[in-house]
Amino acid sequence: MEEKELQALIEEIWPRLKRKHLYPEIPIPKVGKVSDSFDEENEKDDSAEVRVGLEMKGKQMTLNPLFLSSMKGKMAEDNLVEALLDHGITHYTFCPWDFHTHLMLYAEAKKVMGDKESAKQVANYFIDVIADTHCVKKRATEIPELHRNIKKGNVEAVIASLYQRIWGIDLGVAPSKKGEKGNEEVVRRLARIPYLDRSRWSESIRKFARSLKPLLLLEQKEQEARGGKGESNPQGEHDLNHYSYEEIDEGLRDYAQKTMGLSDFKEVVDDFSKELKEMGYGIEGGMGRGRGAPIDSDVLFYMKLAENYSIPLKKVPIEETGTLHPHSHSPWEIGSPFQDIDIWTSFGKIMPGITQVWKKKEGKGRGKIDGTPDCLIIIDSSGSMINPRKNLSYAVLGAACATNAYLRNDSKVAVYNFSDAPMGGRDVLDYTDKREEVYRVLCRYFGGGTALDLEDIMPLIKGRKELDLFIITDMKITNLETLIGFFGKIQNRVTAVHIGENPYASRFEKAVEKRKNINIFKVKKKEDIPHIVLGSIREYFNPVHKSR
Amino acid sequence: MKNACSKKKTLEPLQQKPEATLNPFEEFRSFQFKREEIPLDQIVQTTEVVMNQIRLGYERLLEEEAKELVWMVQYNTIIKAYEVAEKYIKEIDYSAEDIEDFCFALENTQRIPYLIPGPAGIYISALCNYAKEEEIVLKLSELKTEINLVGFRLPKGKRLMVEGDTGDFTGIGLEGGELEVEGNAKNWTGAGMRSGKIRVKKNIGLHTGEWMMGGEIYVEGRVRGLGNIVEGKVYERDKLVYPGKVRYPNHYY
Repeated sequence: MEEKELQALIEEIWPRLKRKHLYPEIPIPKVGKVSDSFDEENEKDDSAEVRVGLEMKGKQMTLNPLFLSSMKGKMAEDNLVEALLDHGITHYTFCPWDFHTHLMLYAEAKKVMGDKESAKQVANYFIDVIADTHCVKKRATEIPELHRNIKKGNVEAVIASLYQRIWGIDLGVAPSKKGEKGNEEVVRRLARIPYLDRSRWSESIRKFARSLKPLLLLEQKEQEARGGKGESNPQGEHDLNHYSYEEIDEGLRDYAQKTMGLSDFKEVVDDFSKELKEMGYGIEGGMGRGRGAPIDSDVLFYMKLAENYSIPLKKVPIEETGTLHPHSHSPWEIGSPFQDIDIWTSFGKIMPGITQVWKKKEGKGRGKIDGTPDCLIIIDSSGSMINPRKNLSYAVLGAACATNAYLRNDSKVAVYNFSDAPMGGRDVLDYTDKREEVYRVLCRYFGGGTALDLEDIMPLIKGRKELDLFIITDMKITNLETLIGFFGKIQNRVTAVHIGENPYASRFEKAVEKRKNINIFKVKKKEDIPHIVLGSIREYFNPVHKSR
Repeated sequence: MKNACSKKKTLEPLQQKPEATLNPFEEFRSFQFKREEIPLDQIVQTTEVVMNQIRLGYERLLEEEAKELVWMVQYNTIIKAYEVAEKYIKEIDYSAEDIEDFCFALENTQRIPYLIPGPAGIYISALCNYAKEEEIVLKLSELKTEINLVGFRLPKGKRLMVEGDTGDFTGIGLEGGELEVEGNAKNWTGAGMRSGKIRVKKNIGLHTGEWMMGGEIYVEGRVRGLGNIVEGKVYERDKLVYPGKVRYPNHYY
């Protein structure tokens, strides 16, 4: 069948398929060349059998005409197309559903398998089993017929036996393969997994991996002996191409929040670093697009984690500054921030296509207009603080949240990261609006003694009438009195955050308790971070209120 | 009220005729939603029921034998706990896979209040001893806790293979069964065993074979220390170390 005829066939059955799957937001599938990892790794042999039938990139599904031709005589073309598309659509509508779920499944599989490639393989098999089982249970589909006719390797034969058992449909798995004692045991174990229970997927994939591990290791050995890579999946591979840039961004954010573990996040990001780099990660500009610099998974972790917290920032009257004013509307997209949504024109709904955001334009202010000043973040990275590149540091997370708050309001941020500053243990970043640069300095860890050098800070403050200060430390500073004296002199808004409780923090609190421009917050656990209010001056709203 | 009714009436002519009203869900009128039972549903449901029964038995064992959440390993406490476990297990119809699932459930599920390695090991041993299958494979390599007392009183004709490490008192009181540990076993392995075989793939701890009355222990790694063995054989890397002249009880090698 020619490509044109095939495309016509897809166009004919697509409305029915969309209806069957309750109208997913997916463009009409195309017919065209698909990339086969097997062919890329091994020199392409024209006589070799075509292995991949479906490719998914972004939300675009592409059917391989060569695969369809290779199945000629085994299965009716419209049934074959329908089965492949049913499978593809279910990946979008049920499993993995989103990038976060995909990452979670991969991470769980890796805990059992130990290595990246096997973990990816297990996650792919698991995702396929769920998608096909969901389809067979809930939709009228030709997927069983497809499995009856595609060529199977060792693992695929076991999976087909599993389908026979859990679907109750004969897929014609050869008795010799079916009857093998070891495989029979694997199938029995696999059949007990509650594939359709989403809440148990993390536990289920571990069991799935445990059961399949001996078979996969055996297959790997055989492949190594043959000197090649494994065969491609006829129903398509599941890699990052499956997701859009925004979906990956959101997935990483969710994963960072869910795991709250730097090492877990780092491991997964490092494993997918090649793919992420291809997607444009690792470069400045909202993480940017395009190839280049390596991914700093620590920075990315704090970046994505901080996006889950929003800390309020009080504005101050600023003289003659061009501030941003709501000017016109534009449609809101998934992954875009919520703070600019105009709830009135969005009818109170958060839904792409309906929700609108305010587009802001700079206007000339006359007199005083509420605005956000720039901010100097002073962060302690001495030995008493947690190393942010080894464990989750609330200090860096807090500073990261503050950075986001100022940058979101079009202000600039400078960083003074100190340990034993007079001895050179410091890093200074001048005012910038480049988020990644700020994060890189925040994540730097010296791990030495703790002393501030005011001479480093003065140039950053000098000449700036409107400036906020944000200091985050455990207050175990050798020259704490110098810091207290310095804060006693300045009139800028100061947000001081101390990690944990100790006599030094109490001393600091006591010394500055009468200063109305200084607000102190205590962070003991991550839940305390959203309670920080940046730049809040006591009595800003309630002048009668004396105590904090 | 009257006014409101009369107002409603006057609005009627403005409404569209029923023929012209378009149902936005018209397309779904003939939609047949396929919700059919597949064997998986039945398998998962049955597994869940069995798991609940096993879990309940374990909870009862804890209630009876570890009231203060403290359980001392003594001859009579082990015997008594095993008798209690037997009582509950005999009522359950389970398979070898259920035992493995239970081992992981002990660690992961919130529904099981606590994992006390002693009673948990006794309970798992009882489950293995009363299982229908002659050969049981427990893939426990990912388990974070090493379970004690695995293979307690394993009877003749049963073969238990454990992938991963086991804790103290592995295979004690073995009664003719075959126990294979694809990892390390800790102290007091094979203590009081009467007959049967224990094969440990890696290393074994102190007091190995203490009061052993018969049977064989094969260790493919190192034996840290032997116990006071009455009768039986212990091999270290295919070399007979008991009976032998050179080895003394509980000496480090």
